[in-house]
Amino acid sequence: MAKVVSIKRGLWEQLYLPELVRGVGITLKHFFVNTFGSKEIVTVRYPEEKREYPPRFRGVHRLMKREDGSVRCVACMMCSTICPAQCIYIVAGERGDGTAIEKVPVSFDIDELICVVCGMCVEACPCDAIRMDTGRHYPPVDRRDQAFMQKEDLLAAGGPNVAVQGGAGPDWRESYRPLGSDRQIYDREGKLAKQIKGS
Amino acid sequence: MTDTEKNPELASFTVDGKPLSAPKGSNLLDAMVAHGIEISYFCYHPGLSVVAQCRQCLVEIKGQPKLAPACQSIVMPGMEVISSSEKVLAARRQMLEFTLVNHPIDCPICDKAGECALQRQYMDWDAKGSRIDHAKVRKGKKVDLGPRIVLDQERCILCTRCVRFCAEIAKSPQLTISQRGNHSLLTTPPGHRLDNPYSLNTVDICPVGALTDKDFRFQVRVWNLSATLSVCNGCASGCLCEIHHFRNKIYRLVPRRLVDVNLNWMCDYGRSTYKAQASDRLTLPRVEGKDASFEDALARAAGKLGSLEGEARAGIGLVLGADLANEDAFVATRLGLEFLAGAQLYLAAEPDTSEGDAILRSADPNPNRRGVSACARGKLRSAADLARDLSEGKLRVLYVLSDKLHLPPEALEKLRGLELVAVQASHPGELVKRANVVLPACVWEEVDGTVTSAAGRTSRMRAAVTPPGAAKPHWEILVRLARRLGLTLDYATPRAIFDALRVEVEELKGAEWGKDLPPQLLRFAGSRG
Amino acid sequence: MFAIIVAALIKLVILLAFAISLAAVLTWMERRQSAMMQDRIGPERANLLPPRPGQVLGRLRLFGLVHPIADALKLAAKEDFVPPKAHRVLYAIAPILTLVPVLLVFAVIPFGPPVCMGALGAKAPDLAQCTRVELLQVAHLDIGLLFVFAIASLSAYGAALAGWASNSSYGLLGGMRATAQMFSYEITMGMTVMGAFLVYGTLEPMAIVQKQATFSQWGIVLQPLGFILFFVAAIAETKRAPFDLPEGESEILGFFVEYSGARFMMFYLGEFVEIVFAGCMITTIFLGGWQLPGLMADGLHWFGTVFSMPHWLVVLVQMATFMAKVFLCCFLQLAIRWSVPRMRYDQLMKLGWKGLLPASILNVVITAGVVLWSQAQVLPR
Repeated sequence: MAKVVSIKRGLWEQLYLPELVRGVGITLKHFFVNTFGSKEIVTVRYPEEKREYPPRFRGVHRLMKREDGSVRCVACMMCSTICPAQCIYIVAGERGDGTAIEKVPVSFDIDELICVVCGMCVEACPCDAIRMDTGRHYPPVDRRDQAFMQKEDLLAAGGPNVAVQGGAGPDWRESYRPLGSDRQIYDREGKLAKQIKGS
Repeated sequence: MTDTEKNPELASFTVDGKPLSAPKGSNLLDAMVAHGIEISYFCYHPGLSVVAQCRQCLVEIKGQPKLAPACQSIVMPGMEVISSSEKVLAARRQMLEFTLVNHPIDCPICDKAGECALQRQYMDWDAKGSRIDHAKVRKGKKVDLGPRIVLDQERCILCTRCVRFCAEIAKSPQLTISQRGNHSLLTTPPGHRLDNPYSLNTVDICPVGALTDKDFRFQVRVWNLSATLSVCNGCASGCLCEIHHFRNKIYRLVPRRLVDVNLNWMCDYGRSTYKAQASDRLTLPRVEGKDASFEDALARAAGKLGSLEGEARAGIGLVLGADLANEDAFVATRLGLEFLAGAQLYLAAEPDTSEGDAILRSADPNPNRRGVSACARGKLRSAADLARDLSEGKLRVLYVLSDKLHLPPEALEKLRGLELVAVQASHPGELVKRANVVLPACVWEEVDGTVTSAAGRTSRMRAAVTPPGAAKPHWEILVRLARRLGLTLDYATPRAIFDALRVEVEELKGAEWGKDLPPQLLRFAGSRG
Repeated sequence: MFAIIVAALIKLVILLAFAISLAAVLTWMERRQSAMMQDRIGPERANLLPPRPGQVLGRLRLFGLVHPIADALKLAAKEDFVPPKAHRVLYAIAPILTLVPVLLVFAVIPFGPPVCMGALGAKAPDLAQCTRVELLQVAHLDIGLLFVFAIASLSAYGAALAGWASNSSYGLLGGMRATAQMFSYEITMGMTVMGAFLVYGTLEPMAIVQKQATFSQWGIVLQPLGFILFFVAAIAETKRAPFDLPEGESEILGFFVEYSGARFMMFYLGEFVEIVFAGCMITTIFLGGWQLPGLMADGLHWFGTVFSMPHWLVVLVQMATFMAKVFLCCFLQLAIRWSVPRMRYDQLMKLGWKGLLPASILNVVITAGVVLWSQAQVLPR
């Protein structure tokens, strides 16, 4: 059973007036401070002023490029698979220029209105091809179909990324360390925290 | 009383101390898989000969000094098998590591990823980093083996399933292994191409992504697919298949596994039949060549059909395609024989082809000639009769439920003189061009129903995708037409029609509807490899 | 005769211009003031001139004072939507019925001292010097305060009709709430004015103001309880927070929920004119009206010295004093609106009937007793 607790209020409190005066006093203090004194206004005047975003802010997607300017993405669909909003639509095709790269996205559309900006596509990408580090907001659109960012739009913001893609280059083994080998764990300050012997 | 005492054909044996029984002389690997014991293998396939080549299924058998491949062992009474000892697991891991020495591990772009046997076995049994620090052997990446198949020789783990399939099942040995050691290559012998009519089965049985189907290559990731069980409508054989689809688009047909009809196989032609579902469909009803609503089109057809009474009904020609489902044919027959009594019923069927073979493919390309004929209870006349009746001017109205009616040019000309030509069809054609009323119909991937193969086996089709536009199943259009005519032909579901036809059609008395299985997401179905 | 009409018209224009423009400014002030109270900026973007090239915002923004104009233009240009099943005539009349009475009652408000025409330049002219004495008050009625109550209560019809005529359940409920609330609090208001009447012995506003010549004679000093009661009741009468249940703009919906465009503007403006009027009443009865402490007919008597002033300057300063007091009252009302949460309806009724009304009756009784006692001191037995 719920217990009814009746709050005892004295006459002073029941008069409302003193508390009302106190309340008005607080708001008026803010009013005068903000109007005449040292302003404590927190509003950001948006178009002229912009809030500084943290470095890991997730903005509009972009697709990275290889050294030759072509798209890094190999259309493995990891991003569209992991995407909780199901907003990434990729059509894969053959690159067909005789290089070792076989599969490329023919089209790569992201529905930015459905996107929930979780960043899981970036986490899932095995090629570091998709990133959300543009620092830009998704631009406002007039029509529904404009909400789709297509491969060209995504590539336009993409810079070159020359990290070796897994297995593609002859030298990938140089940087590759098998799981069973010796490992060093560093702490945040960069000091060696732990040494693990390989099996 | 144990199993073996009940059935003297069974042999009892133990795996890891667990007593099991299997038919005497059966394959040990098969028996273990049947009892749900986890075991890894690549080269073994229940439909092919045993070569014990991948050494992945090694087990300990009491009394044998060395590990023995389970696929090559026979179940013997009293046999003691150990499949999970340190020694067996170490062997399994070592063999996996060995198999992976030259495998490129390009899973992100490999079409097999998600249903790859190697991927699965690695995750189940090894899951360790590689210790190999020398370069992998480079081989051909995109070898064009034939009209339908592309081979990635680097991915190939040389299990020879495809080689054996071509030799044993397709009876055309078009694949072989050349070179030696880790330079071994899967390839076609000089002067040969992998072009036998069953070649796509090699893609299915390939445990890795070495052999890929040109149609399926890069189209979709397999974990996105859903599987709907159905029956191939490519010919009269009625091979059981799975329709694999994603976002309402069909990507491939694959044979159902371990069924006694078509074993694990399907012909290349049957696999390609899904393409018609998405290409050049009729999506809107048409009246006199103009798009119309379903109600208008039905009103036009019903108006003419309803105006013919008594003797005049002999001028109604109702054409049933041999590609209709049993349910469609049954509703059409009831309409023709009971409500429009006196109407002429014809069967439209494709002529026999020379593609038939002794493996799976039937010479009869019509999936349900037998079922439609049974539903019509012998009242069907041939398309040749129809052509004759047309040229003799016996018909006034023609109502066609098929895409398969091919009339000679002079008969087509005669259609102009008819009072009404109504066609329920899925694709445009000569007949649709000349029809007064066109009603868009579904194709088999879009409907629930049954078909009866030439061998008399009735199998269940299940709808995998939704029809395009306003297209509807044949039976539904007929039921709505009947309602327009003021007739009671009220079937709400194909199941209701099936229950009725099972009672009325003698030949289909033993048929069963089967389970209503929802599409199964392959993501959760585990590996097909 | 002609001069009287012209003088009346001039007074009318001054008063209404003051009232309506102050109401318009209040619409901006309400938002800007609340923003400042809440550490925000508030509306300041409307402008009169287009932006310079390369800039985003337009120029001549006047701290956002252009917003009332923009709002008025916007509301006037909006679709005048009438609900399909509304009673069209009453629906159209209701906003007028709310706004007009509030404007009418300004007639009796004295916004300045009696002006001695013909001796404007003189210092403390006496009556003999004047060609005519012009009262800065549109209508000099002996029953001034009664007139106010009689007319102001008409605006309850506006609220009730607006709710009923729009044929909306929410509107009807809002109208009922508004009517009940206005009736309840009008009684308290009347009772508190009764206290002032007992003290000053007149209902004529100009006379009341003239009797508050020194600070110690102000209503707020003589009638502190009456001042508080009147202030609270006035806020309730203008239907503002914490008593804004009849309107409850977005949450509980009010009697003008179905109104849009220009008609909505009438309600909206009416509310702010009511605030100004409430300020005028409080100023007149309790805050000494146009009286500035220390300011006498011949000049300012502050800190023991006399800053002598001509008559016209005294009049102007006293008018400015009146306006400043009204503005202060309005400011306070807005400040209360943004400081206090809304009451529940039963609390509102309880406060009105069980709190304010007995208190105001008590106020009348005590005042009557004190007045009787003080008269007994003066008069011989």
